[in-house]
Amino acid sequence: MLAILILIPFICAFLVMLPSTKQFKGKLFLLVTLLHGLIVASFWKVLPAPEFDGFIALDQMSLILMSIISLLFLLVAVFMLGYFEHEQRSNRKLIACLLALLSTMTLSSVSRHMGLLWMAVETSTLFSAPLISFHRNRDSLEATWKYLLVCSVGIALALMGTFFLAIAAHDVHTLLLSEILDKASSLSTNWLKLSVIFLLVGYGCKMGLAPMHSWKPEAYGQSTGMVAVLMSGAVTQCSFLALVRVGQICGKTGLADFYSSILILTGLLSLAVPALFILSERNIKRAFAYSSIEHMGLLVLGLGMGGVGVFGALFHMINNALAKVIMFLTAGSIAQKYGSSRMDEVRGVIHIYPVTGTFLISALLAGTGMFPFATFHSELMILNAAVISRHYVLAFFVVACLAVMFIGVARIVLDIVHGQPTEPVLEKKENFFMNSAIVAAIIGLIGIGLWMPAPLEKILSAAVLIANG
Amino acid sequence: MTTWIDASCILIVFLALTMLATYRIVGIIKIFAAQSFVLGLTPFFLHADGLTIRDIVIAMGTIVLKTAFVPFVLLWAMRHVSMRSEIKPIIGLGTSIVFGAMIIAGAFWVSLSLHLPGKPISDLMLPCSLSTVLLGFLIMVTRTRAVTQVLGYLVMENGIFLFTLSLFDVMPTLIEMGILLDIFVAVFIMAIIVNHINDEFERSPASVSRSKMGEAF
Repeated sequence: MLAILILIPFICAFLVMLPSTKQFKGKLFLLVTLLHGLIVASFWKVLPAPEFDGFIALDQMSLILMSIISLLFLLVAVFMLGYFEHEQRSNRKLIACLLALLSTMTLSSVSRHMGLLWMAVETSTLFSAPLISFHRNRDSLEATWKYLLVCSVGIALALMGTFFLAIAAHDVHTLLLSEILDKASSLSTNWLKLSVIFLLVGYGCKMGLAPMHSWKPEAYGQSTGMVAVLMSGAVTQCSFLALVRVGQICGKTGLADFYSSILILTGLLSLAVPALFILSERNIKRAFAYSSIEHMGLLVLGLGMGGVGVFGALFHMINNALAKVIMFLTAGSIAQKYGSSRMDEVRGVIHIYPVTGTFLISALLAGTGMFPFATFHSELMILNAAVISRHYVLAFFVVACLAVMFIGVARIVLDIVHGQPTEPVLEKKENFFMNSAIVAAIIGLIGIGLWMPAPLEKILSAAVLIANG
Repeated sequence: MTTWIDASCILIVFLALTMLATYRIVGIIKIFAAQSFVLGLTPFFLHADGLTIRDIVIAMGTIVLKTAFVPFVLLWAMRHVSMRSEIKPIIGLGTSIVFGAMIIAGAFWVSLSLHLPGKPISDLMLPCSLSTVLLGFLIMVTRTRAVTQVLGYLVMENGIFLFTLSLFDVMPTLIEMGILLDIFVAVFIMAIIVNHINDEFERSPASVSRSKMGEAF
């Protein structure tokens, strides 16, 4: 079943390359994502058996990520139906790359071999690169080049880390996660430490953790909202899964403290850097990109803190993904309507597009972790973990960074929403498909913020046990 | 057999250093092809007691992809881009070689304190692969042309691949082939983007983005 789930989108990626109408491609994409979503939903009842000698298998941790991927693609597919009503460019390459990306990300969520996991993450980098240059102008090509080079170097370092892990696991004779965990005591600690550092830098580069974040504002700023959603909500979180897997190995080999300390350090840096840059930012997409760096920082911080922090981090994976849908799809919708996402050129959105304006306010609240959005709860859990472990200075630092981020993002969003319109814009109708995708994400995020369904809590608790080793 | 592996390792580092000292991009691509060819031959010397099918598959895969396809794709990209040589490297060629020599010395020094478990195939494999990775990195960060940066990335990958050969029993063939394929696709996509960039800029933008890229490292 897992192999089918990986193969279907990949085959459809080739189908999309055949000549057909724009509408057909959009509907095929929706159909594939719907099918993917239904199969993933069935896994919530019964987990499928491992396949290919255990190289691919689904545990609760993978299931969370896979569900996020599936949900994001479904929402993007709905949004895309509306987006291409106003877009002149062909959607052929975009949808083909998106389907290939869906396939490789599904593979990375179920990989249980560290080499295969690297391969899947690398392939997802490659398929996401052409997506950034969809508009193919000077800036977007430069952003793509930067993304490709920075991430390729990062991913090469992760490969080096994977090989160091292979040396550490010399007596295990395989990189299968289950075998490594079973024979963890035979691992060479020195090589494992070296491997952990390389893997963290490598996958951290792909996640956009500071100081390897430089590609993020460019890439998200130049790509369409839909691509930014998938990159910030799904592609980066695949790398986070890799870091969780590394944490599992560290937990079994007595390196948990060593790993936690570098995770906390990286997390704090990823909170501080965007806070420094956000106040001088004038582009809404770039501002949301900085917010994404901050959220990635929160994820690794939660993982590093342990205890309730891990639960918070895993819950934050879901919340971050939904918040990114609201943020980037709304930003994408504005960019399409105004042809810009800079606050100097877009003002007074609520006067012309009341619904989009309201979405942007929701994006601000969801992205900065305000009640009743679930991001509030997960951020609180991560903060709670810091307080429980008596890291009061750290907790204060996190709150200060979050406050600065709130001020920075609010400054741009409120100016765009409530400012005086600079020039009259041609009256365009709001699009049903585009808006319904955003509404679904808002309802979902508020929903799990107010009430967590029992199955979700069960899966999250099981995933926490896995992550803690 | 160890003598042959030692010779290949030294040759690989030497060719990486030559790339660092080469001005013409077509020349660098050719040296890269030669380096990949030597790397592709190395699996043949791994097992003293005869060749396995796996050795042949990995060797042929490397030779076909890195010695033929990748240089072909890069030369194809070059035909569409109106530049033939590196214009302004961030640091001069002479200085690069001095840095390169320092890197090689550093890599050998670091390797002294790292011990591979089990019986190593060759003592030179680890320091040479580390040197190649670092030399590739140096090419990548000191050159301004997009194609040369791709070549720097590929030299890094060659260094990593040399390292893999010391782990021959841990990685399944399929994964190794997958890694090779990934590298090929990466180069292909990079070549296409170089072309798009050229259409858009008339010249490579890598020099424009240089200062910003520096922040990442």
